[in-house]
Amino acid sequence: MDAAERLDLAFAALADPTRRAILARLARGEATVSELAAPFGLRQPTISKHLKVLEQAGLVTHSRDAQRRPRRLVDGALGDVDAWLEALRNQWAARLDNLGAYLDRINAKPKPTRKKRSR
Amino acid sequence: MLMSNETRSKVDRATFTITFERSLSASREQVFDAWTKSEHVTQWWDPTGAPLTECTIDLRPGGAFRFVNQGHGPPFEGAYRVIERPAKLVFDALGSVGTVLLEGRGQSTHLTVTIRCASAEHLEQFVKLGVDAGTDRTLDNLVAYLQKAPN
Repeated sequence: MDAAERLDLAFAALADPTRRAILARLARGEATVSELAAPFGLRQPTISKHLKVLEQAGLVTHSRDAQRRPRRLVDGALGDVDAWLEALRNQWAARLDNLGAYLDRINAKPKPTRKKRSR
Repeated sequence: MLMSNETRSKVDRATFTITFERSLSASREQVFDAWTKSEHVTQWWDPTGAPLTECTIDLRPGGAFRFVNQGHGPPFEGAYRVIERPAKLVFDALGSVGTVLLEGRGQSTHLTVTIRCASAEHLEQFVKLGVDAGTDRTLDNLVAYLQKAPN
């Protein structure tokens, strides 16, 4: 899976309020499916379906405990999303810096005096 | 790059929205034209500062634009959604929606640019979910967590 596909999966996984809430819950520590289901008032199969989406997106994994199979966040899970947003942010920040400099330049132009001569 | 200028930007990871605010010493009309007239866009659009090699603008709702740089990145292309000179410009581009808002502040113009990211279908979901999710406390927790988390 390449970075673009991972991003697609991450964006799709995050585009749901229940899945974002599950991530927020797991950010505080691992939890089993039944522990996750209770506060949402959802049935376990529904939670499992959401967890599957989050696992396929590489955001959530389960611990080795074979009995309880608690789920937890993957370390650096949203690294791809973060890096992508950061690159986009830098690009736009540079662009808007250019805009400011450009407007200053064209507004300065009509004035004939460029620089005060020191005498 | 001008780092001294207040380069404020906010990233909302829950909605994949990046917001920028700038204060520009120009009129709203001038700033709007800088966004929508090819002779201006050519001069500032590229983040590297190099002039564009191609800049076509069909300034009407649904009209296409295409900005081509000197080969160091893909063209920026899309279509305009809302054109309200000199207050507002909305466009679709590369799976994101850009909104440009211009407010007069005395001699200067306050510019707010919002880039809402994601592919088209995800974007629609974000728009729909964004409002109710905004007040969701668990979501706030997530956002706070993600802002604290190291990369």
